[in-house]
Formats: sequence, structure tokens, C-alpha cells
Amino acid sequence: MSIVEFKKVTKRFGQVTILDQVDLSIEAGEKVVLIGPSGSGKSTLLRCINALEEINGGDLVVDGISVKAGGRMVRMIRQEAGMVFQQFNLFPQMTALENVAFGPRRVRGESHQDARKQALDMLAKVGLADRAHHYPSELSGGQQQRVAIARALAVKPKLMLFDEPTSALDPELRHEVLRVMQALAEEGMSMIVVTHEMAFAREVGTRLIFMEGGKIAVDGEPRELLANPRNPRLKEFLQHVI
Amino acid sequence: MDFEWSVIWQALPELLKGARLTVLIALAGLAGGLMIGFAAGLARAYGNAVLNAIALAYIELIRGTPIIVQVMFIYFALPILANVRIYPLAAAIMAIIVNAGAYIAEIVRGSFLSVHRGLREAGLALGLPLWKVLLYIIGPLAFRRMIPALGNQFIVSLKDTSLFIVIGVGELTRQGQEIMAANFRAVEIWSAVAMFYLIMTGALTLILRMTEKRMRIL
Ligand SMILES: Nc1ncnc2c1ncn2[C@@H]1O[C@H](COP(=O)(O)OP(=O)(O)OP(=O)(O)O)[C@@H](O)[C@H]1O
Ligand SMILES: [Mg+2]
Repeated sequence: MSIVEFKKVTKRFGQVTILDQVDLSIEAGEKVVLIGPSGSGKSTLLRCINALEEINGGDLVVDGISVKAGGRMVRMIRQEAGMVFQQFNLFPQMTALENVAFGPRRVRGESHQDARKQALDMLAKVGLADRAHHYPSELSGGQQQRVAIARALAVKPKLMLFDEPTSALDPELRHEVLRVMQALAEEGMSMIVVTHEMAFAREVGTRLIFMEGGKIAVDGEPRELLANPRNPRLKEFLQHVI
Repeated sequence: MDFEWSVIWQALPELLKGARLTVLIALAGLAGGLMIGFAAGLARAYGNAVLNAIALAYIELIRGTPIIVQVMFIYFALPILANVRIYPLAAAIMAIIVNAGAYIAEIVRGSFLSVHRGLREAGLALGLPLWKVLLYIIGPLAFRRMIPALGNQFIVSLKDTSLFIVIGVGELTRQGQEIMAANFRAVEIWSAVAMFYLIMTGALTLILRMTEKRMRIL
């Protein structure tokens, strides 16, 4: 069974169709890299998966649960699909440790002690054990984003969604985030990543999807597509980002 | 004319009694007003269309009418409409509750909505229900931003209690009025009454300043 299954999914904002009858299935373990011009619907596609956006047509099944199942079921999906945002969105009133412990404590309902212990493990995993007691405002962008990744992982998701995780970062801070993501991929985590980092797509991705105008225009093996883009618009797009 | 301190000394017990009642009305009224204000403000910010419409109607009704008309309505009209007895003190507290509630609702709505939208999404994306996101994430941030505006409203409401002189509640202003009617010492009495209000609002301001200082605005 696929971990994510889009069945003719349509998403509209008002009169404008953003996702146009998208069919897509993603298997557990895949590392999907999603690219495309601005406004092509990449973020929207990602946000439909964890039901931050409601779909208007078709069906979307995540780990066996339809995003249309509502309430409690949608919250189950969100626990299975962790999300990392372009702007980090860390909780500013909490330290790094408290941010990461928040999910285990308030979502999984674990004890204060256990939540803290897991949070420390997660922070160590993203290389920030020594920053546990810092507030987000005291961390660099790259560190904040790694805390955000740890926060999502602490809920123990089966799938990770990344929406341009390095776009808000200075170039010299990007690699520390990408390295954490790569390590996660090597552990076998299923992930869908919206990014302009073509090196990451080539080295970590197992599948490259090029979106255009709310549709999936190209879907294939990253190395092949990047070396030899047959689709003219993909070719043009790649010339712009690289 | 000469300022007779002894007049104030003699009036002190009565004025203190009035001040106590003023504090009681303000505290009870603001406690209720906070509850209604949070409920109405959250309904405005996050409620469905029906809740939103009810809250909006309430807020506009209260903000669009003077508090003195509101308390007159509660004290004189409500007993006729609902066939109940309403004591002056109860009417006074109710008036502060509904009045402050409407203004607090707008403060609550504004401060919750001023918190960056991404934080709400981050909370929801972890798999929390909205109420927990509001309680654990947005609420604590919004609360810090509310403090100055809430403090303002507390002071306004405290002073508004003086209007309840019209329904005969023996609060501070009423006490002052009665003493003055007996001894005609307007200068001493109204100076003393003003001082009492200043002390009360001053204490409130101090408490708020301290609370604000202990919480960083994020
Ligand atoms: N909440 C919204 N209301 C109305 N329109 C929206 C909303 N969110 C997104 N859109 C529109 O939907 C379209 C697709 O947006 P989306 O964010 O999915 O694009 P994207 O591919 O992620 O682009 P970018 O690379 O700029 O992030 C855009 O035209 C955008 O203006
Ligand atoms: Mg986007």
C-alpha cells in the first residue's frame, strides 16, 4: 500500500484551480523531490497531504486514512506526516528542548520526563544537544531549522514533508540542514521535499517531480532527468535554478 | 478658604467603605468580563459563522451604547422584562461584566490573531486539535501582547463604577456625594475621593507593569 495516494485531487482557491486532478502515489521509503516554478502548486500539494489545506475534489489517502475523514483522523495523519516549514515556525516562548519535547508531551501524551529525554535524543541527532536551553531567537537560522526538524521527528512520523527548508537560509547555513535531511533519508525515512537544491535532488532523491500549472508535468529518476531533461519546460526551469 | 483635614478624617470610614465596594464591583465585574471577553473574542477569531455572528452582535451592541444606559437597562428594564428582582450591586457588577466583556473580546481577538499564522500551522501540523494549539502555543504568546490593553480596560472599568451612583450603589463616588450633601465640604471630600481613585488605579498600574516586565513580548 502506498504511503501517499492522490486520486484525481483538485484544489481551488476561490475560482482559481491550484491542483488540477492530480494523480500520484508515493511508496514508503521514497525520497521525492518536488520542483517547479513559483505558483505551480508545490506548497499546496504538500499542505494537502497533512490536511493544512482542504481538497475540493478527488481523494487523498495518507497511510490508509483519507484526508476527508475529518477531526481525529486528520490528526492521525498529521502525526504520521511531520512537516518542516520554510520559516521554521518554532514556538518562540519555548527553548529548543521545549519545542522538541512539545510533540511527545502534548501530542503523544507522554510524561514530562520521557518527553524531555526523547527531545534530548532528537536534538543530539540533529547536532544541537549543546543548544537545548537556547530560545529560538538565540539560534542561527540553520540551527532553528534543525530544531524544527527535530520537533517534527519527535512525534515519530512515518513520512516527512519539507517545504523549501533551506530557502530562508544564507547559503553557508544550508548545508547543515541538508546534511541532517540526508542522514534522515539514509535511515530510510520517507520524504517529500520541495527544494531548489538540485545537488540534494541528485544525491538524495529517488524520484523527481516537476510541477507546472497545478499538474505533474514530469515524474522520474532524478539523475536521468537532471542530466537529460527531455521536457522543454523542465529544461528551461533547470537552467534558471542551477 | 481653608482646607480642613479633620473633615477628611471624619469621612474616612465611609469613604473606605465606598472604596471597598468599588473594588468589589470592579474585581467581580472584570473577572466575569474576562471570561465573557475570552469566549466572545475567541468566537470572533476562530468560531464558525453562527458563533462569530453572535459574538459580533454582542460586541457592537455594547460598544454602541453608553454604559450608563446599559446599567439603567439592567436595573430598571430587565426586572420588568424578565420578572426578576435585581439588586443595585448585582446590576452594577453585571454592567461591568457585559461592558468590559465586549471591549476585552476585541482585545483578545486582536492579540490572538496578531500571533504569526505559521505558529498555528506548526501546532496543527504536529497533530494537535485547535483548542490545544490555542491553549499551549498561541494563548501564552497572545496573553503577553494583551497585557497593556487589558490594563487600560481594567482602569477604565474601575472608574466606570462611579457611574453607578445613578442606581444608588454605595460605591466610592456615591459615598462622597452623600457626605458632601451633609457637610457641604466639596473641596475636601472630592479631593479625598479623587485620591482614593488614584491610589486604586495606581496600584493596578503597578501590578500590570510588574507582570509585563516579567514577561518578554515575543
Ligand atoms: N491561501 C491562499 N489563498 C489564495 N490563493 C492561494 C493561497 N495559497 C496559495 N495560493 C495560490 O496558489 C498558487 C499556488 O501556490 P503554492 O504556494 O502552492 O505555489 P508554490 O509552487 O509553492 O510556489 P512557490 O515556489 O512560490 O512557493 C499561487 O498562485 C498562490 O498565489
Ligand atoms: Mg511554496
